[in-house]
Amino acid sequence: MGYLNNSIVTVDAILTRKGRELLARNDGSFRITQFALADDEIDYTMWDPDNPLGSSFYGAAIDNMPLLEAFPDETQAMKYLLTTLPRGTSKLPILDLGYQVISLYQGASIAITPQTLNYLGGTQTYESSGYVATIGDVRLLSNFNGVGINTAQATALNSTTTLGAAVSKTVVGTTINMTATTTNALFPEGVTQLSTSLIVVGRDSGARIVIPVQLNKNTNNC
Amino acid sequence: MSFKRLDPEDFLVSADSIAAPAWSNYSASLTSATMVTHASQTGGPSGQYYTNVYNLVESNPLAEAQFAIAYGDLKGSGSFLYNSSIPGLSPSRTVYGQFMNLLFGEDENAGFNYGGPVTNNQTFLAIVVNRARYKQTIKPGSFQLQLSSLTPLITDNSSITPTVEYTNAGRRYTLGSGSFGDGVMPAGSTNGVYGYLYPDVGVIILNPYAIGGSAPLRQFNNNGNDAVTLEGRMTRFFLQSEETVTSDFIFCRARNAEFNYSVNPSFSVSASAGSILYNDFIQNPVTYVTSIGMYNDNNELLAVAKLSKPLKKDFTKEALVRVKLDF
Repeated sequence: MGYLNNSIVTVDAILTRKGRELLARNDGSFRITQFALADDEIDYTMWDPDNPLGSSFYGAAIDNMPLLEAFPDETQAMKYLLTTLPRGTSKLPILDLGYQVISLYQGASIAITPQTLNYLGGTQTYESSGYVATIGDVRLLSNFNGVGINTAQATALNSTTTLGAAVSKTVVGTTINMTATTTNALFPEGVTQLSTSLIVVGRDSGARIVIPVQLNKNTNNC
Repeated sequence: MSFKRLDPEDFLVSADSIAAPAWSNYSASLTSATMVTHASQTGGPSGQYYTNVYNLVESNPLAEAQFAIAYGDLKGSGSFLYNSSIPGLSPSRTVYGQFMNLLFGEDENAGFNYGGPVTNNQTFLAIVVNRARYKQTIKPGSFQLQLSSLTPLITDNSSITPTVEYTNAGRRYTLGSGSFGDGVMPAGSTNGVYGYLYPDVGVIILNPYAIGGSAPLRQFNNNGNDAVTLEGRMTRFFLQSEETVTSDFIFCRARNAEFNYSVNPSFSVSASAGSILYNDFIQNPVTYVTSIGMYNDNNELLAVAKLSKPLKKDFTKEALVRVKLDF
């Protein structure tokens, strides 16, 4: 990690781990079709609407701040998306999964149905395009899929499998199904709990939530 | 909406040629002090066939092979025979056949024609530049070699030749005396040209008779009489690599009414309620773009770019950002 030289504007992109994985898969899934903007690293509390020098200086503490280089870990980049909302919006969309933390024993299943609060005038709604859910370490789950969005892309995404290393997996749906793996081999000696994170993003609103996922070892299976 | 679809005209594929010094640490040239051999390599099995030249001594863990020198001879001289009862078959004969195959392919009667005595054509010294050093190709005109046994500098003729010769191994340039691409046939030479440069395969062929001074410069392997070596006479070696980098340029346009709100937790008073931090932001929100993510149809993040400083965005501004993705 290092700071970027901010004397010139540079926008060289790097591939994420997921991008490399899909490029290696060579099945057409590495195809850039859309973009999003994010404001990771920005602390809006530094915006100073009381600055005595006037409105041109409200953002003085942010305007020239140095930024870190991009992270290749797709779960650590593009955390806070910029979103398009009607002018005059006073409340930002928020995701509610119904859980603060997901704790599963080996073999246990759970279905999550995200809801979006404060979106498009509704206090609580389901986004029509569904939700993107990314599990940080797919090895912890034997099943991870999304249902409710029946596009060809979503169906293909929900059926793809990557074996081996601790890579993420992304699915799309209105309901996300998860089943914890029964494999004991993931647990090092003396360890009874593994952790990863679940990132859910509303495809329409851009709202994002991250919750921890814990996999508990069934000690009677040893 | 947070994800915006790209149109076909938002993509541009560009190929740019990038030249750089070939040697490790971007050194413009190697000198006799930075062209060393390692006894473990020259004394090992591979030493029968070639000698690796490194930038640092063997004890230095940062030493990297820069190029290799091989000696080829049609009659197998310069090496001990594989089997003393079978004449002519030795590592130098193997090297000769290897390079004939590489450079001339199926033409069995082909060979180097240095322009001197025909017998000179049956032997050569090959400098094989490490692939990591020359990347895609040696940049023609960047090769310049100084030998202690030869007064003129050796270089290719890429700057002065009106036509490029194409061979089974791609482009070929003739080596003569001069500097950086303006090599000409050495005056009064009876042994022909100094050799040939094959930039596309990273190979430089030298004529041992033309560069040896009073006697042909022949490379003997570790099993032979290692009297005179090419690397021992090299005093300065310039070379540049050249590669074509294919880049995807993606033009990301943020219209004035787009991307003016953020789900950044600091944008709201409390993350759980979602109320916007400042009342001014309700009608005149201001956001700062720091990152641009490239996604596929499944919203999988394939590539990410960071701006070097935050880009201010509000309802009065539009942004056009060109993202470059190298392959």
